[in-house]
Amino acid sequence: MLKRSWVNLLLVFLPLLAGVVEFVLINIWAQALPPFMVTADFGVFAFVFGMTIRNLGIVALLMGLFITGLLLIYYNRAIRRQEQTQLQVEEAKRDAEQGRRRFLRRLDHEIKNPLTGLRAALVNMQEVHTNADRQRAVENAGYAVERLTRLLTDLRKLSDLGERPIELWQVDVPDLLQDVVDAAHVLPAYEGREVNLLIPKIPSPFPMITGDRDLLVLAIYNLVENALKFTCETDSVEIRLLEDGRAILIEVADSGNGIPAEDVSKIFEELYRGSNARSTEGSGLGLALVHRIIALHGGRIDVRSSQEEPRGTVFTIRLPVTKKGFALRPSN
Amino acid sequence: MSSNRSTLLLADDDPTIADSLAPFLERAGFHVLVVSDGMSALEKAQAHHPELIILDVLMPRMDGRETLRRLRKAKIWTPTILLTQVGEASERALALEEGADDYLNKPFDPHELLARIRAVLRRARPGERSLSAAWLLTASDLALDRRARRATLSGKTVELTPKALAVLEYLMTHPDEAVTRERLLEAVWGWEYPAGTRTVDTRMAELRRALNDDPAEARFIETIPGEGYRFIAPVHGEG
Repeated sequence: MLKRSWVNLLLVFLPLLAGVVEFVLINIWAQALPPFMVTADFGVFAFVFGMTIRNLGIVALLMGLFITGLLLIYYNRAIRRQEQTQLQVEEAKRDAEQGRRRFLRRLDHEIKNPLTGLRAALVNMQEVHTNADRQRAVENAGYAVERLTRLLTDLRKLSDLGERPIELWQVDVPDLLQDVVDAAHVLPAYEGREVNLLIPKIPSPFPMITGDRDLLVLAIYNLVENALKFTCETDSVEIRLLEDGRAILIEVADSGNGIPAEDVSKIFEELYRGSNARSTEGSGLGLALVHRIIALHGGRIDVRSSQEEPRGTVFTIRLPVTKKGFALRPSN
Repeated sequence: MSSNRSTLLLADDDPTIADSLAPFLERAGFHVLVVSDGMSALEKAQAHHPELIILDVLMPRMDGRETLRRLRKAKIWTPTILLTQVGEASERALALEEGADDYLNKPFDPHELLARIRAVLRRARPGERSLSAAWLLTASDLALDRRARRATLSGKTVELTPKALAVLEYLMTHPDEAVTRERLLEAVWGWEYPAGTRTVDTRMAELRRALNDDPAEARFIETIPGEGYRFIAPVHGEG
């Protein structure tokens, strides 16, 4: 009898005792761990509930412990997820800060060179005696100014792209690619060369995409210009168009020397210049612009390149096709 | 100083720009008054009645935009060119909204500024509000409501992309003027780029289709071979 009454007493008071202990623990940890308070409250509730239904005694106690256990597991997972998110945010912040510093370093370099050329040209203008030398100094100054202007224009394009809404209209891609090839004819690197434009006959008409035609022309033109700039007359340059029902693929390919493996992952970074591009004209922002434009269209751009046979570089742009019944409205 | 020289008021707080541009414009045959802030520009404009004002946007004491607003509020319709430093589309739109007759993005070629000055002076009607400050532009049966961003032809709305509408707006505020493709790119798109001139042609084709304007017998937009385009119909401004 005595034994039984002790068990009854235990059954009545143990959940209460556990609840009190838990309350104490919550009070100690509550401020540091607020989510724990909520989860533990469920456990306390279960204990108190068990206490009120005496007939269920041990079952209620076990249930209470079980629910508390479950909630603790959930709580631990939530904490871990929170810590992981926190780590990711910190990492992203660190990356952004590093990226900003890297950008400023590169910008410094890009400005330094033409500025040095400009200063030297100004000194020459003052000090040289023959008209021919003065003329050369003027030309060099003009060249340096042109470089700085190009850099500034591309920086402005990048910043504009981040701030203004893009137009969203139906774009006929084969027509757009033909325009790019026609426009590329004026490039000095185009002279004596041909850009092969491969457009499939099926399906006809080719699926439309939704976007800003002018920006897409700018992006693909940049790729074609690069392909011509970094290859020689005997190399081929090709623009290929494909589709798979959901997206269209535009490839700009060349059979040039390829991009060094260590540069491939960085070429879309702002002002990054690969080891084979340091002496080539350009702002160093062309591919960053392409990347930004394609991202703004909900697409993606990838590159594969090989410096060994079969050598060459292929940029692949993937853009979603316009859904049927899409209302043609500008984004702004 | 000969009396038939037009007087320009140049307001820019950067001395290297003002000191270089003023002699350049003097050599081009203008009499140039130079100030370095918006407040002084306002005072000089009221005291000297220049034929044209060139205002930098970012200036101490009073910025170029506020100066222009106050000038227009005082019913001073002197043609004005804004020199904008920020190339954002919003700034370009604002430049027109506040009644600037034209604008140039820094950095610019001084010859481009000279061309702008001459073009603005050519179409200026002394003492009158310019087309750039009008909200409703009409040319024959074509009407452009700049505030509503809507064009109508014989009362029917013309379906145009925002870019094509902006091209029409630029041409209608610069009637009878040869506008190069590069100028349109700079004014409407905000930046020039190599494939851009073709882009302008594409938009122009869209615009002509929408306006039912045959290039061979143009009613509104004429092509100037090797140069650009010209809006040939007489334009009237209201509001």
